[in-house]
Amino acid sequence: MKKTFAKLALAGLMASTIAGGAFAEDDTIKVGILHSLSGTMAISETTLKDAMLMLIEEQNKKGGLLGKKLEAVVVDPASDWPLFAEKARELIEVNGVDAVFGCWTSVSRKSVLPVFEELNSLLFYPVQYEGEESQRNVFYTGAAPNQQAIPAVDYLMNEEGVERWVLAGTDYVYPRTTNKILEAYLKSKGVADEDIMINYTPFGHSDWQTIVSDIKTFGSAGKKTAVVSTINGDANVPFYKELGNAGIKAEDIPVVAFSVGEEELAGLDTAPLVGHLAAWNYFQSADTEANAEFIDAWHAYIGDDNRVTNDPMEAHFIGFNMWVEAVEKAGTTDPDAVIDAIVGVSVPNLTGGYSAMMPNHHITKPVLIGEIQDDGQFETVWETSGLVVGDAWSDYLEGSKDLISDWRAPLSCGNFNTVTGKCGGSGS
Amino acid sequence: MSLMRSFLLLLSLAASLLATPALAQSDAATLRPLINELAKGKYSETEKQIGALVATGDPQVAPALEALSDGDLYARKADGEVFIIKKAGKAYTLIDPLTMETAGEASKREIKKIKVNNSLRRVIRSALGSLTLMAPDPAVRMAAAEAIFKAKDPDGIEALDAAIAAEADDGVRKKMEEARAAAVLNSDMDEAAKLQAVSTLGTMGNRDALSRLIAVQSSSEGALREAATTEITKIEKSIAAWDAAQNIWYGLSLGSVLLLAAIGLAITFGVMGVINMAHGEMVMIGAYVTFVVQEFIRSSAPGLFEYSLFIALPLAFLTSGLVGVAIERGVIRWLYGRPLETLLATWGISLVLQQAVRSIFGPTNREVGNPDWMSGAFEIGQMTITYNRMWIIVFAMLVFAGLMLVLKKTPFGLYTRAVTQNRRMAASMGIRTPWIDALTFGLGSGIAGIAGVALSQIDNVSPNLGQGYIIDSFMVVVFGGVGNLWGTLVGAMTLGVVNKFLEPYAGAVLGKIFVLVFIILFIQKRPRGLFALKGRAVEA
Amino acid sequence: MMSSFLFRAMDARAGLFLAIMAAVIILVPACNLLLPEGSTFHVPNYAVTLMGKYLTYALLALAVDLVWGYCGILSLGHAAFFALGGYAMGMYLMRQIGTRGVYGDPILPDFMVFLNWGELPWYWYGFDMFWFAALMVLLVPGVLAFVFGWFAFRSRVTGVYLSIITQALTYALLLAFFRNDMGFGGNNGLTDFKDILGFDIQADTTRAGLFAASGLALVLCFLICRAITRSKLGKVLVAVRDAESRTRFLGYRVEHYKLFVWTLSAMMAGIAGALYVPQVGIINPGEFAPANSIEVVIWVAVGGRGTLVGAVLGAVLVNFAKTWFTAALPDIWLFALGGLFVVVTLFLPKGIVGIVSQGWTALRQRKISEDYEAGSDEPPSQAPQSPASPANVSPKTSSSTLPADAEPQPAE
Repeated sequence: MKKTFAKLALAGLMASTIAGGAFAEDDTIKVGILHSLSGTMAISETTLKDAMLMLIEEQNKKGGLLGKKLEAVVVDPASDWPLFAEKARELIEVNGVDAVFGCWTSVSRKSVLPVFEELNSLLFYPVQYEGEESQRNVFYTGAAPNQQAIPAVDYLMNEEGVERWVLAGTDYVYPRTTNKILEAYLKSKGVADEDIMINYTPFGHSDWQTIVSDIKTFGSAGKKTAVVSTINGDANVPFYKELGNAGIKAEDIPVVAFSVGEEELAGLDTAPLVGHLAAWNYFQSADTEANAEFIDAWHAYIGDDNRVTNDPMEAHFIGFNMWVEAVEKAGTTDPDAVIDAIVGVSVPNLTGGYSAMMPNHHITKPVLIGEIQDDGQFETVWETSGLVVGDAWSDYLEGSKDLISDWRAPLSCGNFNTVTGKCGGSGS
Repeated sequence: MSLMRSFLLLLSLAASLLATPALAQSDAATLRPLINELAKGKYSETEKQIGALVATGDPQVAPALEALSDGDLYARKADGEVFIIKKAGKAYTLIDPLTMETAGEASKREIKKIKVNNSLRRVIRSALGSLTLMAPDPAVRMAAAEAIFKAKDPDGIEALDAAIAAEADDGVRKKMEEARAAAVLNSDMDEAAKLQAVSTLGTMGNRDALSRLIAVQSSSEGALREAATTEITKIEKSIAAWDAAQNIWYGLSLGSVLLLAAIGLAITFGVMGVINMAHGEMVMIGAYVTFVVQEFIRSSAPGLFEYSLFIALPLAFLTSGLVGVAIERGVIRWLYGRPLETLLATWGISLVLQQAVRSIFGPTNREVGNPDWMSGAFEIGQMTITYNRMWIIVFAMLVFAGLMLVLKKTPFGLYTRAVTQNRRMAASMGIRTPWIDALTFGLGSGIAGIAGVALSQIDNVSPNLGQGYIIDSFMVVVFGGVGNLWGTLVGAMTLGVVNKFLEPYAGAVLGKIFVLVFIILFIQKRPRGLFALKGRAVEA
Repeated sequence: MMSSFLFRAMDARAGLFLAIMAAVIILVPACNLLLPEGSTFHVPNYAVTLMGKYLTYALLALAVDLVWGYCGILSLGHAAFFALGGYAMGMYLMRQIGTRGVYGDPILPDFMVFLNWGELPWYWYGFDMFWFAALMVLLVPGVLAFVFGWFAFRSRVTGVYLSIITQALTYALLLAFFRNDMGFGGNNGLTDFKDILGFDIQADTTRAGLFAASGLALVLCFLICRAITRSKLGKVLVAVRDAESRTRFLGYRVEHYKLFVWTLSAMMAGIAGALYVPQVGIINPGEFAPANSIEVVIWVAVGGRGTLVGAVLGAVLVNFAKTWFTAALPDIWLFALGGLFVVVTLFLPKGIVGIVSQGWTALRQRKISEDYEAGSDEPPSQAPQSPASPANVSPKTSSSTLPADAEPQPAE
């Protein structure tokens, strides 16, 4: 019991000493990294932590920011969603970071949102997500559905002549929303109800026999069929293995995935999967000078030439550079100043163009469709002619088609209703 | 695979060059520019150029097309000449696509890959089909016929007719006739021919035929439509029966995965009474051993890859087994008689092991390849059976039988049973109980390790691998009855089959929930599981 | 009557615990709200929510200790009751958002709007009223536990079998709540709360209030647990733990005792969950994860099983360690935590409280026997006429001050 008290005192003490430390070392700018290093999401997120550390190190080599060195503060939210909120609070309140780069899953982002709002700090979120959100303190550097899903479906429809669709996903909010949007989009293109099959599986689903055979059955109705997969990272390996073994070839039933990147393919023998597709805004195979540099730097940093790069890493690359530029533009790391300065900032991306931060806190990106190659890389078979602006509120959903987001003055609203002319959603 | 196919193609090529001057043989001088054309333009143009190549009817172009489909066709930037590329490390060997002779080497910067996408691959597949219908190897002809069946290209009918007339192999001829039927239905031939084709597809009776027939049904009318409808009903009926068989197969396959995951636990938990939360990590260690073995083979003895799993099995058993013995000697032996505390300690151990693997191998998935004999599928009737699932079922049964033999027929098994049933008396009889404990725990862990070798073939190899199986394993052991290996077998298979029968109706998630609720209710009915131990051992 | 009931709940250790709790409940919010930010004794907001969270965990651990430490029911599914209580509270908080959601729909929560739900599902009715939600916080876990226990205890499912089916229960609920079709927000769960009982949930005063409420709930539940374990009922429970069959043969309806304490424990877990949600700001199916339930058991074991105070201490300590490790050693903290569990089980089999009290054992033992011989009216543990005390259990092991001595006897 004494210990209880001692610990409580210690907790307070620790908090205050660390906070004190933060104020004492005023010669560095602190950057928080909030990625799971253990638990189920460590598979994907650890790489992003390393990528951030590399970016920060490189920035310091270039002389830091505003004449100060950058200092990374790494914490482990352990794939535990409430812990994300707690760690975000710790980063901001105790460690005094000026911006946080982090989160992967939607739920982790939702969990930290109120914290960033309350403490008025900045979060850069690097993963493709379901949209339907625009928050003043958050910058979405991953793709919104219109920057990934819809172009992919267009490609299949126009280039491959697909008429029948399997929308397969893991049962959580990103696939649900994306499939809702796609369903509405397909129907608007005249696809009949019976030509759409929707299927949800739990996280980490490992026995795909039944579903793969269902897909095969669905595909044998005489029309060209494709699978649009929003299956979450971990479940993909057994899914593709089953697909390959069941002899479903990309020439017959192509699978286009939105959550399968180079990193996921690294765990797979891709020879049976050649020709299956993925839609992203970046592929490691992008043939540009900037990308070659980035890959070399990454290999040098991580000390392993076999490590791959992927889309969320590029998103962090863009987001970090945007933040750096905005801070330099504003001359301070003060969140309000940065939020004002960052809109309109445009930095080079790795696919040979420039990405700009839009007023809705989403960025412009090219959309690439790639086919899986036998060396685990993607080969771009199609890309949008220009950049696509991320759309926070989908035009294909009932509740959100009238909403827009613009964080510039005078509107300064994330969910402005163009019909009622009010900020605050579609309701009364 | 593709190497083999190219080789067969080459054979067929040589043979056809000798045998048939029937089609106009074009010489290299006319073909070479056509092939070089492939490097130019976008996909739609490439498609036309492929068409032009195929129109020559010359089987000599097959290797070039094959290479294009495999993504091995490159253009030399300097002069636009197109070559097949063989990669060996950083060196790229240029091979002339017509003569198949080596034409020097090039660096990556000097050559440019000719891009290919799915629709081009489809075009190439059907083109290759009609080019290789006359190949001497029946397997190549079979593949060609299948390619035409999928492409259902009416232009292939003529070639098929010639091929059918010359065909000696019954199986291949049948396939060719089916391919012809598919092509006929897609052509503008008269109704009699089409009716004939519908009945050919009807006898074929599988999903591919069904798929064609449905298309016919929706696009035709009158007698043809009626004939198609009759055949469809017939096929659907037979498929429904096969579906049930297929479902049982899926269930057995899921059951054997559960069995593999749970059987080691049936020893450490069921026989020894240790609530071993680190069991899943033993499975994970086995999977990582497979990864290490394959990495080693890839870098130093690529020829052994087909045998990698056999090499991995004993190593995985030893590694996991030794870790198990270490855990038993280091931690668990202090906790006998306090089974619930083994839960806490092994939970801690499982965290440590996970983090250790994460620190050593990194947090990302690791690639464990399937040897050829574990890849692909074959068909029995309308049932598709994948090789990896089949071998896993066989393997699970072998492991079970082996374990039974060890426990029932060896002195070690006798000691184990003696110690777990009555430790004190066993000790009095001169059995060194501490050693038996350690070895039994090692045995359970080792078996978990070899389960990991099997699971690496169908699942992620990541630090989280074990976590995904631990709950299911406990469910299986408890459902079957703690302390009874037969219970584990029956329990695993029952849960597997029930799960797979529920899945089509309830979906994967609800199906699993129902199974869990079923277990909860079942335990109410039989509080000691399916095969309860009877007698004094129960309360001891 | 009531006062003697409460009085019995007191002894030196409990007194010390209550004194510390009282100090914490008053001092932490006071130091947070009243002292200026620069002051040495100022408790930062961050620490208030963090400690508030620890307190709710402590309450959950207390609930587990009641069934495991005193009745021998090892529940590997208590996080399910915690999460259900949390969901009930979360639904109330969701309804309070009203038009302030991103879509501004006055009735439907955001996740229902963008998944095109037409109307509120029936089971969401009533949650706009606090009293109803508060009732549900108790009833939902309580009824589930009652039904589950009714079947399980009557069928005499015991030992590991019971543990594993509690695990199955929480796993099934986990999968069910993951389903978006259930109408509880799927994987994202319920979040973005605005206010509770009209107070802004992000305000410092609300936080301090919630902290104090958690502390009070913990104290109250502690007193209830204490009273139960020291009553005759508590003796029967211990008897059930140590020799279930024998107790049954003595004529006790074992399943009724178990059912009562099981249901009560589930309700406490529900309260803990309800207090947890507004403080961390999110409830999602991850809380049902079987691993969470196992962790709770570990907290109790670290602190000292069957001591109540130990459960509280263990929960706070382990979670503090987790908070500290995840920030200080983000890459290797699992080694530290995993190692801690192994070390505690091996070297502190009775938990921390066990070690602390070991030093006093001899002293207390002497005092107990003196009291007993003097025929004290206030027997510290064992009344001679109590049929609940199995004859073979020595006074030492049945003394509730040292129940950790009585090792769990799994029926296998």
